[in-house]
Amino acid sequence: MAASYNAKEEDGHLSGSSGLGGTAIRTRKPDNTAFKQQRLPAWQPILTAGTVLPAFFVIGLIFIPIGIGLFVTSNNIKEIEIEYTGTETSSPCFNCSHNFSWNSTTPCKCVLSFFLDQPFESNVFMYYGLSNFYQNHRRYVKSRDDSQLNGDLNSLKDPSKECEPYRFNEKPIAPCGAIANSMFNDTLDLFYIDPNGTKNPIPLIKKGIAWWTDKHVKFRNPAGSNLTAVFRDTAKPVNWLKPVYELDTDSENNGFINEDFIVWMRTAALPTFRKLYRIIQKKNNMTPTLPRGNYTLEVTYNYPVRSFEGRKRMILSTISWMGGKNPFLGIAYITVGSICFFLGVVLLFIHHKYGNRNNSSDISN
Amino acid sequence: MAGSKTERGLVITDILLHIHKPLYAHIQLVQNEQESVGRCGPTAVIFISPVAANLSSVSAGGVTLYDNVVRSYKYTPLTFLPLNLYEQFQRAANLFFLLIVVLQCVPIIATIPWYSTMLPLLFVLLVRGFKDLATDVGRRRSDVQINQRPCDILTPEGFETVKWKDVRVGDILRIHKDKVIPADLLLLCSTEPHSLCYVETADIDGETNLKFRQALTVTHAELNGESAKQNLESFDGIVWCEEPNGNLHSFKGSDSKILQNCGRLKLKKTRVEILLNKTVLVILLFMLTTTLLLAVGAGLFEYRVSPQYDVVSVLQRDSSSAYLGFLSFWGYIILLSPSMPISLYITLLTDSLSHTRFEVIHVVHCFLIGRDVEMYWEDSDSPAQARTTNLNEELGQVGHLLSDKTGTLTQNRLLFRQCFIAGHIYGDIAGEFKPLDLSWNRFSCGGMKFSDQRLVDKLRERSSPECQEFFTALALCHTVMSEWRDGLPHYQAASPDEEALVCAARELGWVFLSRTRETLTISEMGLTRNYQLLAILDFTSKRRRMSVLVRDPGGLLKLYCKGADMVILERLQGDWLLQESTERALELFAQGCLRTLCVAVRSVPETLWTEWSRALSQAGTATGNQDTALEDIYDQMEKDLTLLGVTAIEDRLQEGVPETIASLRRAGVKVWVLTGDKTAETAVNVGYACKLMDPDTILIEGEELRQLLESPSPDVHLMSKETEVWTTDRRAEKSKAALVISGPELCQSVLCCRVTPAQKAEVVEMVRKHSTSITMAIGDGANDVNMIKTAHIGVGLCGVEGSQAVQNADFALAQFSFLRRLLLVHGHWSYYRICILLRYFLYKTTAFALVHVWYSFYNGFSAQPMYESWFISLYSTMYTSLPIQCVGFFEQDVSAKSCLCWPEIYSIGQKKQLFNPFVVAVTLLYSLYTSIIIFFIPMGILQYSALDFQTLAVTVETSVVLTTTVEVILQTKFWTKWNIAAVIFSLVVFFLSTLALHSTRLFTASPKDYFFLGASPNAFSTPEVWLTIFVTTCIAVLPSITIRALGVVLTNPNKHKIHSSKKESVELQRFRRGTFQRRSSYAVSQGKGFGKLITTGVGLHSAAPPKDGRVTADGLKKESPQGSQREMNGDVSC
Repeated sequence: MAASYNAKEEDGHLSGSSGLGGTAIRTRKPDNTAFKQQRLPAWQPILTAGTVLPAFFVIGLIFIPIGIGLFVTSNNIKEIEIEYTGTETSSPCFNCSHNFSWNSTTPCKCVLSFFLDQPFESNVFMYYGLSNFYQNHRRYVKSRDDSQLNGDLNSLKDPSKECEPYRFNEKPIAPCGAIANSMFNDTLDLFYIDPNGTKNPIPLIKKGIAWWTDKHVKFRNPAGSNLTAVFRDTAKPVNWLKPVYELDTDSENNGFINEDFIVWMRTAALPTFRKLYRIIQKKNNMTPTLPRGNYTLEVTYNYPVRSFEGRKRMILSTISWMGGKNPFLGIAYITVGSICFFLGVVLLFIHHKYGNRNNSSDISN
Repeated sequence: MAGSKTERGLVITDILLHIHKPLYAHIQLVQNEQESVGRCGPTAVIFISPVAANLSSVSAGGVTLYDNVVRSYKYTPLTFLPLNLYEQFQRAANLFFLLIVVLQCVPIIATIPWYSTMLPLLFVLLVRGFKDLATDVGRRRSDVQINQRPCDILTPEGFETVKWKDVRVGDILRIHKDKVIPADLLLLCSTEPHSLCYVETADIDGETNLKFRQALTVTHAELNGESAKQNLESFDGIVWCEEPNGNLHSFKGSDSKILQNCGRLKLKKTRVEILLNKTVLVILLFMLTTTLLLAVGAGLFEYRVSPQYDVVSVLQRDSSSAYLGFLSFWGYIILLSPSMPISLYITLLTDSLSHTRFEVIHVVHCFLIGRDVEMYWEDSDSPAQARTTNLNEELGQVGHLLSDKTGTLTQNRLLFRQCFIAGHIYGDIAGEFKPLDLSWNRFSCGGMKFSDQRLVDKLRERSSPECQEFFTALALCHTVMSEWRDGLPHYQAASPDEEALVCAARELGWVFLSRTRETLTISEMGLTRNYQLLAILDFTSKRRRMSVLVRDPGGLLKLYCKGADMVILERLQGDWLLQESTERALELFAQGCLRTLCVAVRSVPETLWTEWSRALSQAGTATGNQDTALEDIYDQMEKDLTLLGVTAIEDRLQEGVPETIASLRRAGVKVWVLTGDKTAETAVNVGYACKLMDPDTILIEGEELRQLLESPSPDVHLMSKETEVWTTDRRAEKSKAALVISGPELCQSVLCCRVTPAQKAEVVEMVRKHSTSITMAIGDGANDVNMIKTAHIGVGLCGVEGSQAVQNADFALAQFSFLRRLLLVHGHWSYYRICILLRYFLYKTTAFALVHVWYSFYNGFSAQPMYESWFISLYSTMYTSLPIQCVGFFEQDVSAKSCLCWPEIYSIGQKKQLFNPFVVAVTLLYSLYTSIIIFFIPMGILQYSALDFQTLAVTVETSVVLTTTVEVILQTKFWTKWNIAAVIFSLVVFFLSTLALHSTRLFTASPKDYFFLGASPNAFSTPEVWLTIFVTTCIAVLPSITIRALGVVLTNPNKHKIHSSKKESVELQRFRRGTFQRRSSYAVSQGKGFGKLITTGVGLHSAAPPKDGRVTADGLKKESPQGSQREMNGDVSC
C-alpha cells in the first residue's frame, strides 16, 4: 500500500513573542501550533489499484483455505442426534409424552435404541436439545434472582419480585423464578449393547459441564453446613419433583451449585437450543469412547414439551479445537473467500477495461 | 469607543451600542476648535432632556416614570432552577429522554435499566444549566457595565456626573462631544451656532454620515448667551407633540427603533441539519412502525403461542395478549431509542448526550477557525471568530455570497493616486512607492500615496500655471469643512472622494484653511489667499458634478467645476486641445481601476454673474419645480469650461479582495454586491477592480434588464451564463429589486446600488426564496445587520471594534480576504467532516439498534435486548465515539493548500454531494444490511453449538464494535496520531471494560447489575466465537470495501478532479485586456444639501483661521506600511 507521510514542520518559532520587552504584550494572535493550524503530521494512505486488487485476492486466498479447514474439521466431528419427544405413536416415548403430569410420582420411562455405525474416538459430549422452547423470552429471562442463587440469605428469605409468580409458595421458593421452575429434569442414561447382548452402562460424568465462574462464583449455596437445614424454610419450585437440596447426593454438586441446574439457568439464545448434559470420558487410547455398535438410551420422561409442540432430543458429539460440529462456519468462510476472489476478478476486469491508466500513473507520483 | 472611520472626515466617534441597550438617538457634537477656544472653554456642551427611557418603569408619585436601567438578564437565584429546567425540557430531545427514563422506571416494561439513559441525561442537563448560568452572569455583568456609564445631569448645584441608570425622564443632560447617548433625548441647545449638533445614527439605521440636529429656536435663544447658566437653572418647559405621536414615549423598550431594526432573532439551522431532521423523522416513523409491528407480533405471540407454552404464559398473570403487546411496544421504544438517535437530538438543536458530541465537533471547528493564524489580522489584533457554533458545515455549501461594498470590499479609504494635468500624467501606481519629501509644507499631515517629484518640483518652482490652477480648483471646489487640531487642518467631508482631493491638495501645498459663509481661505504654497465664495452649485446624483463660483483675490470671477468625465467633457469649450491625450489618460486610469474626476475652470465675466445671480435668486424664491429650475440655471453657468485636469482616486480595496472574489467565483460561489452607493459608477468601478466582473462581460442595467426579462426571448437563457447584471435601482423600488432577483440563477454576479439596509435583507430573502443555495452575507456596518441576520450565514468584518455587524454575525473576520480561507478551507473541511460524521452516526446507531428487531423474531417479540445493558449505554459513548470524533476533528480529504488552489473542490458542498437524501438512504440501507449480517451470521453459526445467550450477545457486541471500527478506519483518510490512538483506545476500552464488567469483583458487588459474569472470558476463549466475529465483520464491511475499491480501480476521484481543474483554472485566469471601459465617478455619497448648509452659513464661524500651526505631522493618517508590505494572507502559490 502506497502511503505518504507528510510531516509538516511546526514552525512555532515564527510566532514567538517578539514584542517589546517580550513579555508585556498580550496579543490575541493564535499560536502557531500544528494542532491549532490543523497541520498535524498525518499518514494518508493512498490506495491504488495496485494495492487494492491484490488485497481482494489475498483475502480470498486466506479465507478459502480456512473455510475448507473448518469444513473438514466440522465434518470429521461425529455427531448423532436422537429425538425422543414421542409425538408419533411409533415412538417408544409416546406413552410417556401423553400421560404426563408434573406431579406424577411414578416416573415414566422409555427406552430408545440406536446404532452407531462409526466409533466415537475422543471424549464424547452428551447434550439434550429442546426446540420451540422460548428460553429467551424477556419475561422468562428476567424471572430469576441472581442474589438468591449467589447464596444471599436475605434473597433466600425474600426472593426478588422478578420471580413472580414463582416467588412464594407459602414459603419463599428456592430457587425462585420461572427459569428454575421449568428446569429440564429428564434423566438420560446410555447403555452399550455388546455384540453378545449384554447391556453395559456407559459412565456419564455430570461434573465439569458448567462454566467455572458459574460453578464457583455466580452460584453459591447459602452459608451453612447442612444444606437441608439451610433450605428448611423454603419451598421447592412448583414443578420440581424434589427440593433443591436433593438434586444430588454429592455435596459439591448439590443445591444451587448443581451443575445440571447451573447449565439450565444459563439461558439459551434461541428457541431451539442444546445444553451440555454429560461427558463421556475416553478410557484409554486403545478403545474408542463409543465403539461401533448398538446402544440404548433410557429416558426418565419428566419434562413435558407436547403442549407447545416442543421437541426433545439427545445429542452425542465429539468435539474438536473449534468446538462442536458446525458446518455453517466453514461454509461462511468459503463463501466470503470466494466472493472476495470473485470481486477481485471483477475489479481487475473493470480496471483493465475502464480504469484510466494515465491517472494511476499520476497518482503514483 | 474610538472609531475607525475617522478617515471619513467629520470627527466621528463610533458609538458603542450594546445589544441590550435600546438607544434611540446618538448625538454627537461636532466641535469647532476655534469656537471652543474662543468662547466656551474646552468642552462643548449640550443640554438635552430625556424624553423616553428604557425598558423598565418606575412609579413615582402616581406617575409612571421610566428609569434607564438595562435589564437583560434572565434568571434570579430563585427562578434559575425552575426556569432553566422548564427551558431545557422544552427541547424535544430532553423531553424524549425524560420519557424514556420514566418508561425505564416502570418495571414491567423496563427492557434496560434506568441508569443507562438517566446518567447521560443528567449530565446534559447539568452542562447546559451551567452554560446558561454562565451566560446569564455575563449578561448581568454587561448590564452593570452599561448602567454604570457616566453622564452629566443638571442638579440645583450644577452639573453632576451620575450613572446612566439614574437618568430619569425630565432630567437635563449635558453630553460632551463624541459620547454615547444614554437615552432618547430632546435637544435643547448646544455650543455650536444655532444649537446645531451632529449625530451619527449608524447603530440605528446604519448610515454613517453625520446628521445634523438643531435645537428649537426658542430653547436655543433662551439657553444660550451670557446668562446661560442662570437660564438653565430656571428653565422649565413643556413639550407639546403633534399628532400622530401624541407623546414622546410611545416608542420605548421593544418598540424602539433599534430593537425593531434588529429583526427577529431566528435560530439558524443548517441545510445538513434540516435534512437530518427529516431523516430523523423518517427514522422515527420507521422505528415507530417497526415497534408497532413488533408489538402486534408480541400480541399475536401472546395470543397464539404463549397459552400452550405454560412456562411463559404463567408469567403474564392473566393479562390479555393485547395488553402484553402494548407493554412490548413500550419495551421496544426503550430498546430502539438509541437509534432514534443522536439524530433526534441534533434535530431539535438541543444537546443531549450525542448531540453534545455533535456540538463538540462544532465547537472544535469554531475553535479551529478562531485559532487559524492565517485568518488573524495583526493590525487590529483580531483573529477570526465563530460566534455561532452550529453553522460550520454550511460554510462549505455557500452558493451566494452577498457582500456589502464599503468597508467590506474596499477599505473606504480613498487615496489620490494620479492626476493628469496639461497633457502629463503624474504619479504612477505601478512603480515602487517612494514617499515624497513634503517637509517644506507645514500643513502636511502625511498619508499621501502619491509620488511624483516632477509635479512637486513644478509646483514649487511655480513653473506650471496649469498645475497651480488645478490645485487651486481642488482646494476651492468642494463642500469640505475644516477643523483645526494641533495646528493642522483636519477635514470633515461629506464624501470621501472630496476629502481625498482636498487632502491631496493640502499635501502638495494648496491648503484649504477654512471657510465662512462668504469666504474660502486657502494657502497656496504658504501664501494665504482669501476667495470670495459667490455660489456653490451643489452636487446631485443626476448632475454628477459640482461647481463653486468664486472671486479670487485679484477680483476675477472664476467657476471651478469638477465632475464625472462624461459630464465635464461635454461642457468644455469647443476647441479642446488635449482631447486625445485626455481620453488616453482616462482610459489608463480606468484600467488601473481608479475613479476619475475631471476638473475644469471657467472665467466668468462680471456681467454674466450679475445676470445669473439674479436668475438664481428668482429661481430660489420661485415656487413650483424649484429643483429643475435650479438645474437649468446651473447648467447655464457650467458651460464653456476649460479642462484643468483629471484626478484619479483609488478606492482602495482591502487586501486580497480580487483574488478572493476570483477564487470564490471559481469555487462556484455567486458573488453579489449590495451597496448603498448612490452612484452606480462607483460600484461598477469596484466591481471591476475586485474581479467581480471581468472586463469583457456585458453589463445590463436596470431598465435594460427589465426589458430583457420581460421579453419572452430564449436569448435570455443563452446569454445568461456570460452575463453579469448591473442594476441601478434608482428608486430602489421593491418591485424592481424583485425583478432583478427573480432570475437569480441567471446572474453570475450582481451589483445592486442604492440599497437600503432593509432592501439588502430583502435581496437576501429573495435569493433564499428563489434558489436552493446557501446564502452568505458579509458586511461591516450596522446597515448590514439585517442582511447578515437574514442570510443563512452572516459574516461580520470586525474592522470596527464592537461593531453591530459583528455582534449579529455568525462569524467575524478581520479581512474580506479571509473569507477565502474560511469558505474554501474551513468550510469545506467542516462540511466534509460533519457529513462523514453524521453519516457514520446514522450508520452506527441504526445498525446497532436494528439488531434488536431481528432478534425479536426469535424471542417471541418480547423486547428482549440482544445486548447487555451496559453495552447499550457504553456503545455510543465509549466504544465507538472517539475514532469518529477524531475524524470530525482532524479529517482532511484535501489539504488546505489544495482547497485554495483548486476552489472547484468546493462545489462538493454546494451540490450537497456528501449529505443528501440519496446518501442518507444509502447509509440507512447499508446499516440495515449491516444489522442483518451482524445478527444472522453469528446466530446461524452459533445455533449449532451449545453456547448460551450471553455468549451470543458478546459475539454480536464484538462484531458490532469491530464492524463500526473498521468502517471508521475505512472512512479515515488522514491518520494523525490521535486517530490511531483513538481507534486503539476504543477497542482496548471495549475489550477491557467488557472483561471488567463480566468480572467476579463487580458481580459480587451487585449480582443483579453484572449478571453477565464470566460471559466474555468464556466467549473470548472459544475459537468458534472468534471465527464467527471475524467472518461476521468481514461480511459486514465487504460492500463498503468493495465500493471504495471500485472507486480506486476506476479512477482516483480527488486526484482526477484536481488535475482536470488545473487546466480549467488556466483558462479562468486568462482574461482579455484592452477592452476597459472608461469609468468615472463622483462618489458624493451624501446627497445634496451640504452646499446649501454652507452658503446659508449655518454651522460656520466667521472667525479667521489660526495664524499659526505647528508643523508636526503626527501619525494621524500615516499610511500603514504593513498593508502593502505584508505578504498576502492566504495567498498561495499553486
